[in-house]
Amino acid sequence: MPMAERVAIVSVAQTKYHPNRADVNEEELAYEAIKQVLQETGLTLSDMDSAVTCSQDFWDGRTISSMNIQHVVGAHLGHEDNISEDGINAVYAAMGQILSGHQDIVLVEAHTKESQGDKSLIENAAFDAILMRQLGLDFTSAAALQARRYMYKYGITAEQCAKVAVRNRGNAKNNPFAQEPMDISVDDVLGSKMLVSPIRLLDAKPISDGACAMILAPEGKAKKLTKSPVWILGASNCYETHYLGDRDLADCDALVKAAQKAYSMAGITNPLRQIDVAEISTEYSYQEPLWLEGLGFCDQGEGGKLVDSRATNMGGKLPVNPSGGVLPGNPNGVAGMARVAEAVLQLRGEAGDRQVKGAKVALAHGYTGICGQHQAVMILGNM
Amino acid sequence: MSKESPNKKAEGPEYIRIKFDAPRPYNWSTGKYLGKVYAEAKENKKLVSNRCPQCKEIWLPPTPVCPKCKVDMGWDWVELPQTGTVYQYTYLVYPLWDPHFGEKWANPYPSATILLDNGVFYRHWIEETDKEKLRVGMRVQAVWKEDYDERGQGVQDILYFRTIEA
Amino acid sequence: MPNRVAIVGIGQTYHTGSRDDVSQPEMVAEAVRAALADAQLSIKDIEGVFSGNMETFEGIYLPDHGMAAEVGAFGKPGFKVNTGGTTGASVVTEGFYMVSSGLYDLALVIGFEKQDCGDTTAAISAAAVPTWAKGAATGAIGEFAKQALAYLETSGAKEEHAAMVRLKADRNACRNPYAHLKLGLKNIDEVLQSPYLVWPLRLMDFCPQSCGACALVLASEKRAKNIHKKPVWIADVEVVHQEPFRAGVFGDPTGKETYTQHVACERLYKRNGITNPRKDIDMAEIYEPSNWEELNLYEHLHFCDKNEGWKLIEKGITEIEGEFPVNPSGGVIATNPIGATPIIRVAEAALQIRGDAGEHQIAKDIKTAMATALGGPNWTVLFLLKRSL
Repeated sequence: MPMAERVAIVSVAQTKYHPNRADVNEEELAYEAIKQVLQETGLTLSDMDSAVTCSQDFWDGRTISSMNIQHVVGAHLGHEDNISEDGINAVYAAMGQILSGHQDIVLVEAHTKESQGDKSLIENAAFDAILMRQLGLDFTSAAALQARRYMYKYGITAEQCAKVAVRNRGNAKNNPFAQEPMDISVDDVLGSKMLVSPIRLLDAKPISDGACAMILAPEGKAKKLTKSPVWILGASNCYETHYLGDRDLADCDALVKAAQKAYSMAGITNPLRQIDVAEISTEYSYQEPLWLEGLGFCDQGEGGKLVDSRATNMGGKLPVNPSGGVLPGNPNGVAGMARVAEAVLQLRGEAGDRQVKGAKVALAHGYTGICGQHQAVMILGNM
Repeated sequence: MSKESPNKKAEGPEYIRIKFDAPRPYNWSTGKYLGKVYAEAKENKKLVSNRCPQCKEIWLPPTPVCPKCKVDMGWDWVELPQTGTVYQYTYLVYPLWDPHFGEKWANPYPSATILLDNGVFYRHWIEETDKEKLRVGMRVQAVWKEDYDERGQGVQDILYFRTIEA
Repeated sequence: MPNRVAIVGIGQTYHTGSRDDVSQPEMVAEAVRAALADAQLSIKDIEGVFSGNMETFEGIYLPDHGMAAEVGAFGKPGFKVNTGGTTGASVVTEGFYMVSSGLYDLALVIGFEKQDCGDTTAAISAAAVPTWAKGAATGAIGEFAKQALAYLETSGAKEEHAAMVRLKADRNACRNPYAHLKLGLKNIDEVLQSPYLVWPLRLMDFCPQSCGACALVLASEKRAKNIHKKPVWIADVEVVHQEPFRAGVFGDPTGKETYTQHVACERLYKRNGITNPRKDIDMAEIYEPSNWEELNLYEHLHFCDKNEGWKLIEKGITEIEGEFPVNPSGGVIATNPIGATPIIRVAEAALQIRGDAGEHQIAKDIKTAMATALGGPNWTVLFLLKRSL
């Protein structure tokens, strides 16, 4: 049976990421982003057939966190579902709704105010209560375990990771939404305070508040809503096992699988050659070479060399995170959706000073959970 | 963490339960809409909310988008009357505690949906704890915390609604 | 033309108050294994795993991650959904869209809740906006008590009618091996002696806190017919959220505004040519957190006119032998593992269509069934299930 028309993203918006938006509650924060996509398309909330939201009860500090934003997504007597993974999965779910033919115009939204909760306590609650939680781990300390293992197995160096931090924070200077753009050197990173060995302060993202919104539509309607629809060519996600000892943390099989499915849907056989720009979710600098390997941009263990080669710098063969990505500050849950938003801007030629010229195919990536237990990949194109 | 039972002679498996009792602190913002409610309550002992520019309905609590019209609510504020009629009520007879703030609520206590005199519904505690005296239709009035320094909890600055006409 | 989706596997745990013998992942694995066994599939055949749970009840953040291996999500795509009480229904809805889209041919949808892990009432009370009227939040019980009181005072119903509904639910639950509360009630006096929790709701009027999981295997049309002799088709879904949220009360206290159930039914019935629900549909598994709410729902779901709900139970119309059976499984008032409850409604309705409900099978032939979900501030999800499309 032939698939329905292609699905397009017709409008995207992000709020400027900020360490503490004490001036807004979740509803107002989400609305800042939603207002922009409504303005750009000329649509109203009543035009939405459905809304897919992304928020976490644990971060919002209340049960049924999507109750916070019902009014601003137009869910009165309407259709809304909440995906509790990273926001890129909400875009994926919306895509499924449209491809099924049951919904047409779908509003997608993600918001998190990291400033309002205790990150370590919240993240600790994700660890298995019987065996792992009492170790007092949070995502950062688990990431440190992964970083150590990855660096040990493949000889990735702290300098290579620091280069990632330097590049991401430097790219962020061209991104008007970025929270902490910085002009730093590798020595600055290596000299910054140690958080959890080997992750240093400048290797990690800061606490951040923000929201992201987008509108998706099927092909016929999309062409009427915008001159530059961006098509979702392929998407998938994948779960890894939970217990940290069950997998080799130096590998990311879930990402490999998610990427393979997304590439296959999009007809990508040589990612390095066929993808023009990649926005990948990197909360800690070591993740970039690791995820680059999982995405097939280089062989396993060669992530560090790829970083050294400067192929992932602006002007390189595959610019990674022209926006600066997650490292300069992106809240949990919003991060992956923001990567999709940035990829869309690239493909529309609207990325301003961070534009990768002539970008036709982009990759967006998001992950959720401990050491990237859940990975999601989306391939987008503008033709 | 619970210990294994000292009674090793027990039949069948010993089930171990692991208990976690850590409170998670949160720092919620009111945002600017609820912030105005808080400010009016603290400064002026007034209850306010906003009105939709399209359908003219007053929504309580205030909101940035009218739920029905789905349009931007703007900044049209209305002072609400502090008297009303009990529309529905319920009477809690077992102790509940507030999961957000960890306080045990009074027990027993009645909570009511009050139809304020301008037609807006509002829900709050009632002062009258004698179940026999509670009645749909009774007239009530807001009683505020008089001490300025004690206010600043938004609508919790209203202690309860007192019966003015049974 | 959207792809058609069928339920080809149904599994649930034996729901109970406390499951000391299993962890949350192990409990969910029981339901998953049962669903796979019912479909005669292996986990290898499943292409995606979608789950639903309200994580504040167990205090487990990202519970779907914690059980990735136990439920077979390892190495597979999927995600978790959380929409409060309708979570189970939302995950079936999302699974339905994903299979209908052609992205998946075989998907597993799971709903679960292990309520002995946490404090349910506290977690529900935490649904209140923390910066607004924290004191007036009375948990779900307070909300339903107000609705019960309104119904008692305006419809002509008596407390006896609510008790009749409770008796029906218990009699049905006692014939359902999976149900949680099986009180063995003999008459309505036993219900009327139960103490008041939040007046006029009695202890027996409200649903329990259960531990349980339920899983369904959804298949696309091209696979469904090769997997199960009796696929049950999901003919339609309707999701309606958020009535105007007045003063932190869900539903309009005056009853003049429409309830989400009413709106959802209007849309669903119109799309499916249903003009006389009790004749066009053969039975319903509805989400009734209290027996009073069931009377209310008879009216909101258009099973009868306004203020006539209590007459349906008085005349025995909704009993398992009646003309329009409602909740032959015992309903939510007998079993309520919140994340699983809406999926259980779908599962039970599907079992009735298949004729596989065992002791609580309705005698008359069931070709079309409705399953409903209710959650949060009176959100509604409706499913229309059919033996053949």
